Amino acid sequence: MSNSDDLSTDLNSNDSAPFSRRHFLWNSGGGLGAIALAWMLDQDKARAMAAGPTSERKPHFPAKAKRVVQIFCAGGVSHLDAFDYKPELERMHGKSMEGKGENLGFFGQPGKLMKSVYDFKQHGKSGAWMSSLLPHLAETVDDVCFIKSMFAKSNNHTPAAFQMNSGFTLNGFPSMGAWLSYGLGTVNENLPAFVVLPDPRGLPAGGSINWTSGFLPANHQGVAFRTQGGDPIPDLRTPGGVLPAAREADMQLLASMNTQFANANPDDGAFAARLHSYELAARMQASIPEATDLDSEPENIKKLYGIDEPANKGFSRNCLMARRLLERGVRFVQILNGGIFGATPRINWDGHENVKENHDAQAATMDKPVAALIQDLKQRGMLEDTLFIWSTEFGRSPATQGVGAPGRDHHPTAFTCFLAGAGVKKGFSYGTSDEIGYFVGENKVTIPDFHATILHLLGLDHKKLTFYHNGIDRRLTNVEGEVVKGVLS
Amino acid sequence: MSQGLTPTLSVLTLAISAALLRLLQAADGVAPDVSKLPPASTVVIDFARDVQPLLNKHCVDCHGTEKQKGGLRLDNKASAFQGGDEGRVIVPDRSAESRLIHLIGGLEPDTLMPPKGEPLTGGQIGLLRAWIDQGAHWPDDGKVVKLRSKHWSLQPLQPVEVPAGTPNAIDAFITARLQKEGLALSAEADRATLIRRLSFDLTGLPPSPEEVDAFLNDASPKAYEALVDRLLASPHYGERWGRHWLDVARYTESQGFEYDKIRPNAWHYRDYVIKSFNEDKPYDQFMKEQVAGDVLEPVTRDGMIAPSLLVCGPWDEAGNAQANVTQKMITREDELEDLLGVVGQTFLGLTINCARCHAHKFDPIPHEDYYRLKSVFEGVKHGERSIVSDDELKTQATRKKLQEQIIAANTRISDLDDLGIRLAKDRHKELPKEVGAAPYASWQFDGGVVSLMPGKFEGGAASEGGRLKLQGNGAYFQSDPLPKDIREKTLEAWVSLATLEQGGGAAISIESQDGGVFDAIVYGERQPKKWVAGSNGFVRTQDLDVPVETSSPDSLVHMAIVYRSDNSIALYRNGEPIAKPYMPGSPLQTYAAGNAHILLGLRHHGAGNGYLTGGIQRAALYDRALSDAEVAASFRAGGFSIPQAEILACLTVEQLAARESSLAEVQQARAALEAIKKADSQVSYAGVRIQPNPTKRLVRGDVHSEAEVVTPGALSAVMDVESDFGLPADAPEAQRRLKFADWLADGKNPLPARVMVNRIWHLHFGQGIVTTPNDFGGSGMRPTHPELLDWLSAKFIESGWSVKSLHRLILNSATYRQSSAFNKLAATKDADNQLLWRYSPRRLEAEAVRDAMLAVSGEINLQMGGPSFQGSSYANPDPNGPEFNRRTVYRMNVNSGKDPLLDAFDCPDPSVKTPRRGITTTPLQALELMNNAFVQRQAKGLATRTMQAAGNDLPAAVRTVYRMAVGREPTAEEARLAEAAARERDFTSVCWALLNSTEFVYVK
Repeated sequence: MSNSDDLSTDLNSNDSAPFSRRHFLWNSGGGLGAIALAWMLDQDKARAMAAGPTSERKPHFPAKAKRVVQIFCAGGVSHLDAFDYKPELERMHGKSMEGKGENLGFFGQPGKLMKSVYDFKQHGKSGAWMSSLLPHLAETVDDVCFIKSMFAKSNNHTPAAFQMNSGFTLNGFPSMGAWLSYGLGTVNENLPAFVVLPDPRGLPAGGSINWTSGFLPANHQGVAFRTQGGDPIPDLRTPGGVLPAAREADMQLLASMNTQFANANPDDGAFAARLHSYELAARMQASIPEATDLDSEPENIKKLYGIDEPANKGFSRNCLMARRLLERGVRFVQILNGGIFGATPRINWDGHENVKENHDAQAATMDKPVAALIQDLKQRGMLEDTLFIWSTEFGRSPATQGVGAPGRDHHPTAFTCFLAGAGVKKGFSYGTSDEIGYFVGENKVTIPDFHATILHLLGLDHKKLTFYHNGIDRRLTNVEGEVVKGVLS
Repeated sequence: MSQGLTPTLSVLTLAISAALLRLLQAADGVAPDVSKLPPASTVVIDFARDVQPLLNKHCVDCHGTEKQKGGLRLDNKASAFQGGDEGRVIVPDRSAESRLIHLIGGLEPDTLMPPKGEPLTGGQIGLLRAWIDQGAHWPDDGKVVKLRSKHWSLQPLQPVEVPAGTPNAIDAFITARLQKEGLALSAEADRATLIRRLSFDLTGLPPSPEEVDAFLNDASPKAYEALVDRLLASPHYGERWGRHWLDVARYTESQGFEYDKIRPNAWHYRDYVIKSFNEDKPYDQFMKEQVAGDVLEPVTRDGMIAPSLLVCGPWDEAGNAQANVTQKMITREDELEDLLGVVGQTFLGLTINCARCHAHKFDPIPHEDYYRLKSVFEGVKHGERSIVSDDELKTQATRKKLQEQIIAANTRISDLDDLGIRLAKDRHKELPKEVGAAPYASWQFDGGVVSLMPGKFEGGAASEGGRLKLQGNGAYFQSDPLPKDIREKTLEAWVSLATLEQGGGAAISIESQDGGVFDAIVYGERQPKKWVAGSNGFVRTQDLDVPVETSSPDSLVHMAIVYRSDNSIALYRNGEPIAKPYMPGSPLQTYAAGNAHILLGLRHHGAGNGYLTGGIQRAALYDRALSDAEVAASFRAGGFSIPQAEILACLTVEQLAARESSLAEVQQARAALEAIKKADSQVSYAGVRIQPNPTKRLVRGDVHSEAEVVTPGALSAVMDVESDFGLPADAPEAQRRLKFADWLADGKNPLPARVMVNRIWHLHFGQGIVTTPNDFGGSGMRPTHPELLDWLSAKFIESGWSVKSLHRLILNSATYRQSSAFNKLAATKDADNQLLWRYSPRRLEAEAVRDAMLAVSGEINLQMGGPSFQGSSYANPDPNGPEFNRRTVYRMNVNSGKDPLLDAFDCPDPSVKTPRRGITTTPLQALELMNNAFVQRQAKGLATRTMQAAGNDLPAAVRTVYRMAVGREPTAEEARLAEAAARERDFTSVCWALLNSTEFVYVK
């Protein structure tokens, strides 16, 4: 057993950010009174005992990346129409697909082979092939490392998305962000360690299951910010009917109660931890609105992301917000592009009926803001120690779904993701799919391999980042996973 | 090698040694230096005890049934001695020459066995050497030697002696252990602390001030015991302890996965659990019901609901409906792993689920055992089923008898009619020479009499002009219940349409009696003028590219739909296929004997627009899938009719009399059936049952790597109860679960009692005697007090598995009643308080925090049971009203619908089997208590309530509010601060602070 369920008593970390009086910025919604503050600041023991379970922890070895931002495009982006150029597929266009074994599609209605619905050309110094689907991202190819040999276990959205997010195709396993929060903690206790920014068009299929802490302690769960307006997190703001001064006085009364209780039971660290948690809460009331307020961003930055452009349906705000959160020490920001299934028209990349129509609409939301995020991180030097991940749950089939139809079904056995930033090769492409993009050709990268590599870049050995649960020392990578050395710079 | 080549060797061993020498020389040309090997052990070796576990743990993953690296197997005697591709590895009597020893001893460059994982220790190598040197004795009795694991939890319950000196046995065990560390129990906590502790512990609710006073003033020496009894008798006890059980059961009320669809009928299981705890249902029965209650005699309502345990976790509905066969199979295997996981962990404290791909790494659970257990539960699938009251169950027996009577009489009638038809046909030379396949049941309309399978005309339908005349608007014909299970099938009808401009009616439909499931030949429902295979909710329906119907009014069309066992569906018109067969998204349905009927002219009961206007000359149900040729033949042969009068004229007087009396019997029985009032039946997410194919072991868990067939059984590591059920691989699925239920509840099975006793202990003290309550295996923790665990387990079984007796034993001990005061000396020796030198202060769980707020504000709605209320959600974060003020155990437990307040207090992901709640203290938790609208409301409620009770007297209100919220009077200083705050601002401020206080959310 490598840990205790009760992390509030597991407080021996010396890595917690030291208290600082000037960090006590209160928003108008209220805060701790001076008396309580003084009490807390004087309590060395409280400080040591109350270093939260999310305070920063050391990695297993020196890390290339200090933080991560992951774009997850729900629905399954077609590798064949975006990243993975297949001249052979052009040649075979309209022919039957042969020799590929059992049909892998979800709906099982394979039609004929279909070439990319977009034109491909080479970009940048690296000469990477990209289609005309993503013109802005095509400009960033010299900063990114494609992995064109991704392999997922499931051909079914939610299990596949769960696998990308948690390593398992089932409900209830901790998501990658939760593992990172557990493994590395946070460098800024005034913000959550793991923030999820759902697509403004709605939550993805499975909702909060995608950012669950599973069996890890609940404090590692992703905090999904509301991105459709209103406060970023529920219950951040002092309720409307309560005057700020009154709340401040109430906080003093509470602090006196809790102080007295902690003093009466001076050796139970959990009681001191509660006092500390109220102090952090009050700080969050200021730090979260500050971090998510985009108004202070200069015009050129807003323009870069396309903040006011209706085409991206508000998604650009999330990309810019992500950069602000990363700057302020959030460990892991996950940006979701795409919402639930079953909406009409579709609000994710699930191009069953018509891949061009679908991908055109989705790319309009995603391409420019994400390219801007890469560029913005780069121009600030943040790409040096930030890992950027672009991902989707699987690709799409080289054959159409149904004869004569312009859509493509799900396809798990070869697809493309890409990385950029800390510790990753630039202007590089790793792995291949076969001649028509059906199976992996060379250098297969499974999701556990992908995760092992991400953890490695963060200084974590995926075999050592474990948590005991019901008989098993669980890992993000289950019993699999090899670090993909070929993508490391 | 010098040692091995002494001149005293026998010819045989010489030959072996020579071969080995060649082998070794071939390998690297250098003889290994055996002096580097650890020495052989001096113990007398017992193969089963000393050797086989080492081979199993370190070797057989690569050299066993799954893989045979280098052609070598070490899992059975013959193969092991035969050796691998490179020759023998074991030379009896000569461990230094045995390559096995060289390989594990690291003597061969670059090849240390095992290649992964921990190398063997010197002691272990010494044991293997000693075994070889002592003759390498390997018993002949089969490949698997059944040996008792040495693991503690698999040993029989040991009779233990209670340490002397303390009257209470629990205290005796705890004190004896503490004394070893120079420690002792703390003094008893004060009464105010005890009643608050007990109330939360047993009911999850705070004591009222009146209850506190009564206890403080109770002079009886039995006051504490009486309090324990009172709380155990409270209905809120079941709500509290039922919730604990639901954590372990990974009870969810939604599917999880893609749509996280709500299960509106899953709550019956929650109520069953609460009721079972409240009734103190014997735990052995509680276990049995949850694995086989639906088939345990006598069947009860509880029993029907209880096996919900097996399916109350997440379920990938989309994965089950998709087209890819491999992925579907994996989805099903995942489901079964979840099921075996919950059964193994909940009742046995063993992670059986870890043996899906290979033998368990830490526990003696062979790969085969996983599949034997899978065979036990393979018939259980997700879904809803009907449940009825116990009264209804009794009338069901009567109903079943009547139905059987009807079926028997109908069979007699149809046999006679068959005979009549055969005889009559001889007289009809005009009939086609070719006769189609024999239907299971058919209906031919002539002169108002239906032949072969009786039924009733409804809504003005009538037999006229050789056809069933359907004038629409409620007219249809319904057959009697079909007397056998129908699965694979063909539906057929010669049908005429009065007009082509109609839609939604069916020529023929097979429908379950409750109308929930049907398959039908439907005309023009979603696509005008096209025939379609209709089904409930269109789940097996596809709108196909078939030609539109063009037949002129009242001319007959022959329609047939074939439902094949591979689930494909094929449509025919006038003997010709009209579309390519397709695979529907929902599986082939089984229409159970006595529970389905045929409808002619109606799509299904309750259908809007479901009536066909036209006529049916003949309709038939085949209990198999006809081939293309058979459908064509039936078309060519069909449509003939012989007047029933002619048929009957062919029978003898006796036969006619028998037919008449059978008809009368049917009528009587039907009348009796209709007279029995049908109770309201409910559906519950208790799972459905199928009769599965024999289970095969799957090599590495791969769905395409089927190995041998296994028979139903339990864990072979439990030595004292037979794990082989003696059932064949195709035994009825119910029998398998019944056997398993017996195995589980057998008093000689040491695990269930130990595991449950430990859960109860864990929940009373915050940590178990075993701190991994779901894992009593090798990677779990060992018991801190093994004798106490066994003593309690024996008591538990002795009491008739009474959980409440177990509570009493524990709660009446001084160990439980001690104070939570900190003790520095004790903490240096036992920081985690595993030895229980004090009562550990406990943070309330999420549900108790919420319930306690509702209780003190007076807003709580104590209505028990029934459908769940929808709590806070993304769309509606703050539902407000009495129905939302019920206890939290009645909140809809959905996977993706999280309540930020409960979440912050570590309310677990419902799909996770949670034997132990996390306890975290975070800023988000503080924010929730500070700002959550629900908390504000309860603070206000508490303020209003106490102020009223105190007659607007502030000092009195302050005293009361402290008594309500934290169960004690305020100190003078506290009262001063509170009164000042109330005067300065509002009394609600004081209440808000109290609800936020550490003292409110902790129990000491």
